[in-house]
Amino acid sequence: MAKVIIDKMAMQRALTRITYEIIEKNKGIEDLVIVGIKTRGIYLAKRIANRLQQLENVEVPVGALDITKYRDDIEHDSAKETPTVVASGDRVSVEGKNVILVDDVLYTGRTIKAALSAISELGRPNSIRLAVLVDRGHRELPIRADFVGKNIPSAQNEKIQVSVQEIDKRDAVEIVNK
Amino acid sequence: MTKRYLILEDGSSYPGEAFGALATTTGEIIINSNMMGYQESITNPIYHNQIIVFTQPTIGNVGINHKSYESIVTSIKGVITREYSDTTLNHQHKQSLDTFLKQHEIPGIEGIDTRELAHRITKKGTMKASIVDVDDEHAFDQLNATVLTNQQVSQVATPKPYPNPGNGFNIIVIDFGLKQGILRRLDERDCNVVVVPWDTSVERILSLDPDGIVISTGPGNPADLPKSIIKTIQSLQTQFPLLAIGLGHELFAIANNAKVYKLETEHHGSNHPVRKIITNQVIYVSQAQGYAVDYDSIDRNTLITTYIDLYNGTVQGLRHRDYPAFSVQFSPDGEPGPTIASDIFDEFLENIGSQRR
Repeated sequence: MAKVIIDKMAMQRALTRITYEIIEKNKGIEDLVIVGIKTRGIYLAKRIANRLQQLENVEVPVGALDITKYRDDIEHDSAKETPTVVASGDRVSVEGKNVILVDDVLYTGRTIKAALSAISELGRPNSIRLAVLVDRGHRELPIRADFVGKNIPSAQNEKIQVSVQEIDKRDAVEIVNK
Repeated sequence: MTKRYLILEDGSSYPGEAFGALATTTGEIIINSNMMGYQESITNPIYHNQIIVFTQPTIGNVGINHKSYESIVTSIKGVITREYSDTTLNHQHKQSLDTFLKQHEIPGIEGIDTRELAHRITKKGTMKASIVDVDDEHAFDQLNATVLTNQQVSQVATPKPYPNPGNGFNIIVIDFGLKQGILRRLDERDCNVVVVPWDTSVERILSLDPDGIVISTGPGNPADLPKSIIKTIQSLQTQFPLLAIGLGHELFAIANNAKVYKLETEHHGSNHPVRKIITNQVIYVSQAQGYAVDYDSIDRNTLITTYIDLYNGTVQGLRHRDYPAFSVQFSPDGEPGPTIASDIFDEFLENIGSQRR
């Protein structure tokens, strides 16, 4: 059974609020770089960047981050690859920038730790802040998000499933009982 | 039926048939172009001391019901319509508009060419008008000599605080002559609401331990209110998530150094497309405004323009750059009119949730 906890409207509102909060906390959008983590974080990052452009008429660079290499919880053979933050073919520089890291779900914190390692290997940003659509708890590392769409206290055996229009043909966050 | 007259400051006179009370009244004349919801308009305190011309040709055909009141005190000065209809099959009907107007001593006139009248008001701008028995020279002299009050807020806003209990966030609504739609939307979201008078001090508001602040709609010119209100808003916006609506939006703008001007023709309707800038969506909303925020006066380092009217270019929404404080010119409760913008109340409550995280 899947239960919808964030519908399309609520997801739009959450991203809108996060966008405004980024402007609030960052005191403007100078030197801002938005970096989306792997699949869905990238689309959310793009949506936030679109909103910033609508409001401020400034194009904020969006990067996509693949953190597979840095995961300590997954066996992989991509260990020799160098991490990249790629935006439409060009590499995005994080040196001296204010980075907003975007992911769909914040869970153990291991993905974020991996993302932080990946970014620090690419340069030294002025600051890194974390935006997530859902914070479901159960952290295993001392990591917290600066911008949260919704806090969803969840049980370990529940699955939080985020769908985005761009690849899943609809916008929703659901709890699925395994 | 009794023949009576609507006379305008520009010297024109419109004869028609009376309904409602037979009182002689004077007020500012405005056009309302909503297709539905005359009860919401008639009972909205924003129309305090105004005579409403409905461009919808027939008024009265759904009577008056419990659910559509926007205030308990109705203080408009008249209802002008093409045709008054006493026939109703509406299931919520409790009494006729005629009876309601008689009870509240408000006169109405039907049989007036409201299209011509609306055209005249649009062309000449805001005017004084009277509903009278005889349209002689004396009546016009009286009309021209009448000075309308600019103390509308203190006449319609609550003089004392009152609660509307709920189990959710503690919301303080500062009442400048609020419409009940705002309270309904907060009630639906289970907020614990305390409505306080418009001149309540910051200290008093702090003592009520708010989670968030709503600055309500209301009648009249924001410039006629004392400067202490502006100081109150300046203080509150730094401390609590804030939502300002209508007159509240104009005050919020002034509190952040923007200017407000009087529209040549007031706009009351739900037919203007409004662009939500952040998502580039176009929505239709319920609008009722005599004033607007001057776009050029907005300090872009302090405020972000969030909504814009695509028909007349007026600013319909603002947000503070440094605090979770935002405002809309239109009525997000959508009474009367489209309810699409009612999730602005969710946006406000989610701002509170985010602060408390």
